[in-house]
Amino acid sequence: MSRDTVDRRTFLKSAGAATVVATSLAGCSSGDGDSGEDTTEASGDGGDGTETDETTEQDDDGNDLSGTLVYSRGDHPTNYDPQQTTSGEVAKVTNQVFDTLIDFVPGSGGQLTDGLATEWTLEETTATVTLKEGITFHNGEEVTGEDVRATVRRFIDEDYEYFLGNENRSGYSSVTFGDWVESIDVLSEYEVQFNLSQQYAPFVRNLAMFAAAVMSKAQIESVGATPDDQATIGTEPQGTGPFTFEELDNSNERILLSGYSDFWGEGPNVAQVIFKTIGANQTRAQDLINGDTHITDNLDAQSIQQVDGSGSASVVQKNGINVGYMAFNHARMEEFRDPRVKRAITMAVNRSAIVDDIYQGFATEADQPLPPDVLGHNDDLEPYPHDPDQAQSLLEEAGASDLSFELATFSNPRGYNPSPLQTANQIKSDLESIGVSVEINQFSTFSSYIDYTYGGRHDACLLGWYTDNADPDNFLYVLLHPGVDASELSADQQHIAWEDKGNASNVAAWVNKDYVELVDDGQTTYDEGSRRDIYLEASQIAHDDAPWMFIDYAELIRGIHQSVNADTYTVSSVGGPYLELVELN
Amino acid sequence: MASKRFILKRLLLLVPVLFGVATFVFVILHLASGDPARVILGQRAPQSQVVQLRQELGLNDPLYVQYGRFLVDAVQFDFGQSYQIAQGDTVRSVLADKIPVTLELALYGQVIGILLGIPLGVISAVKQDTLTDHVGRVGALSGISIPIYWSGPMLILLFSTTLSIFPASGRLGSTIFLDNSWQLFGMQLPLTGMVTIDTLLLGQFDAWVSAVTHLFLPAVTIGIYSMALISRMMRSSMLEVVRQDYMRTARAKGQGSKITVMKHGFRNALIPVITVIGIQFGGLLGGAVLTETVFGIGGIGTMLVSAINANDYPLVQGTVLTFALLFTLVNLVVDITYSYLDPRIQQ
Repeated sequence: MSRDTVDRRTFLKSAGAATVVATSLAGCSSGDGDSGEDTTEASGDGGDGTETDETTEQDDDGNDLSGTLVYSRGDHPTNYDPQQTTSGEVAKVTNQVFDTLIDFVPGSGGQLTDGLATEWTLEETTATVTLKEGITFHNGEEVTGEDVRATVRRFIDEDYEYFLGNENRSGYSSVTFGDWVESIDVLSEYEVQFNLSQQYAPFVRNLAMFAAAVMSKAQIESVGATPDDQATIGTEPQGTGPFTFEELDNSNERILLSGYSDFWGEGPNVAQVIFKTIGANQTRAQDLINGDTHITDNLDAQSIQQVDGSGSASVVQKNGINVGYMAFNHARMEEFRDPRVKRAITMAVNRSAIVDDIYQGFATEADQPLPPDVLGHNDDLEPYPHDPDQAQSLLEEAGASDLSFELATFSNPRGYNPSPLQTANQIKSDLESIGVSVEINQFSTFSSYIDYTYGGRHDACLLGWYTDNADPDNFLYVLLHPGVDASELSADQQHIAWEDKGNASNVAAWVNKDYVELVDDGQTTYDEGSRRDIYLEASQIAHDDAPWMFIDYAELIRGIHQSVNADTYTVSSVGGPYLELVELN
Repeated sequence: MASKRFILKRLLLLVPVLFGVATFVFVILHLASGDPARVILGQRAPQSQVVQLRQELGLNDPLYVQYGRFLVDAVQFDFGQSYQIAQGDTVRSVLADKIPVTLELALYGQVIGILLGIPLGVISAVKQDTLTDHVGRVGALSGISIPIYWSGPMLILLFSTTLSIFPASGRLGSTIFLDNSWQLFGMQLPLTGMVTIDTLLLGQFDAWVSAVTHLFLPAVTIGIYSMALISRMMRSSMLEVVRQDYMRTARAKGQGSKITVMKHGFRNALIPVITVIGIQFGGLLGGAVLTETVFGIGGIGTMLVSAINANDYPLVQGTVLTFALLFTLVNLVVDITYSYLDPRIQQ
């Protein structure tokens, strides 16, 4: 008992002593903190860190490789393998580390240019690609046709020794190569031939998608043969891109890239790029204003105003290649099989109020599935007018005056729909004013929402799409083709049963045989002029039949600090960001 | 001996608690809609690929088979790979990265809370019903009432935007990257994941200053709330103690009031406060979510919210169980400390 007492006293004394030490340490910390304002964060260009080497060197083209470019974003994925993800956040980084055979012109609306390939041809079911010579991966190996073959096989060939595994590979494996490539032959060291299962015009553009980035065969084979081994490439990716992947700092949610002095293309113009993560929009905007971030994205309306009025940073914007829409489920709701009903609903909803007020003008009103920069966008089309009276008479004409339906919606903002709940409420109130009753069914997580809508359980749903490759087929087939052979459809068919549909991302189950035949033709037509004509007509049919209420094409918004040479940074609606071109003042 | 039996009993009680939490989390997640195969593959994947992956992941197995598999893995602290948030990473390694981040924030917040809250509470009690007491009480009430999502941005506005004294976000200067390990007598040792400690272990004083300045505002934000609660508890506990007979006796024996308060009053009043501190620390781990969000610190709290939003089942299961384990362990330590300070508790 007495021993216990002594122990307790000792304990309390020690606790007291610890408190004193803690107090003095805290005082010490606080003092240092006050004088610590000149640490790296206070620096205007975020570039005088204590650890990373601020090397000033020149690359082979004589570019000045100095300075550190800091790119802030809202999320930090932990795997940077282009074949393991569908995330745009991952692509932002892998596009710095890897190259594709064909690339998008920086800042363009999806025009193609050379990537690792100097030439490419697509004839019937054969695509041939000729590689540039002398390009090296970050591991020092030269790029050859064998690397291209190993890359594709790792992604789609279950018989390949180094197959990535079904549990690891992303949904892009089918979309990019798997659905089209039957085999791949290496014709010579720098020439590769893809043998396709059918004529497929978008294939060339698929080669420019981030998921089609060329990986090093040497690295693929060095990490081991099991899918788990292959998954590790995501933490140490080695490509041919302008920046090498130096460090993945998951604790602090940052990535450090270094300029690759042997990069084959233009740039890089900075020694290092740091991707850092700040989840809250306003904090990220403030970081940009303070100069601790050079470029940031995913700004909401409030933070856009914050940046715009700051004086030290500015907002740049560009048309995105995306579309936001409300899909009518033709399989579930008989009323939606009558185009008059869909047009009436569209006309009853004040879409310009959605775009101008709810989306604060950072979008334009949509009138067809294809956004403006995409081949086949029909300039002759106009959005349906906002005309509740005509909407009401159309509904009466169609005998659907007492229509009521469920409108499913996701909750969290997405690029093409920054305020889904407000959008749904606007639709509900506009439709109720013409006597149509709408019940909003709100989903808290996007994946459960996709599960619901891809399962066809909605009457109508809000959705949208960002382009993968800026090809019209990426919208018109992926979102509105039923995924069955045209010969199985009748001329007056308006819908397809959900279980008969062969295309999961078509959540409208809409059928128009003429449209299906046109989109099928578009897939196999290689002449661009003829293809344009086909898609102009398909767009017209989609506009007239209105399987969706077309809502918006959203703009891309970026914030850049004044320390970035604004002429060297261009917002890209597909591919990029092209950080190798960016110069710091 | 009694002490050992007490600890053993408390440790055994952890088993049903954790089992209950594990079952609860498993059931809730499997009742929720959303197909994990679709989560992994994304919106772009064709249905055929989704069906194939469901089969490979064993998601078509009966629920009790999946539950059994989950329990066997959970006992080994193996929750598999994250579906989306940290795709390709094991849940274990994600937790190893994230727990120290939140723990460090909560620890510093708690230290600030204790260092400010205890003296404030003592002074308030000793100077009961004076102006000092009123100011202290109003301060404490405000500290509890002001939500973190307001106080955090206000501190940023004042100290970061206006005065430029402290950075607004992150844990380290943008350009500071630390090594993955440190050396002691030629041995490579792992780091703790807490930047204020790791920078010292690596001997990088500039980086340590950066870490401390980055941690200051978030720790103060959490600390204000903690301080308020502790000072209120300390005050009421102290008021109870100063009215005890032995305090009067000590004074009657001619002992100075300060010595009486500190030597006899303070130690006795501390006992219930320690319980509050312990329980509250568990709460701070969860409460750090808001602070992490406001200050752009990627800790376990913000990750859990993202994992729930993304239907990342393995990550949610692993994180919730880890939280439960940490919370119960902290409470166990509190109980042990409490029983140590006041042996009557063990009876």
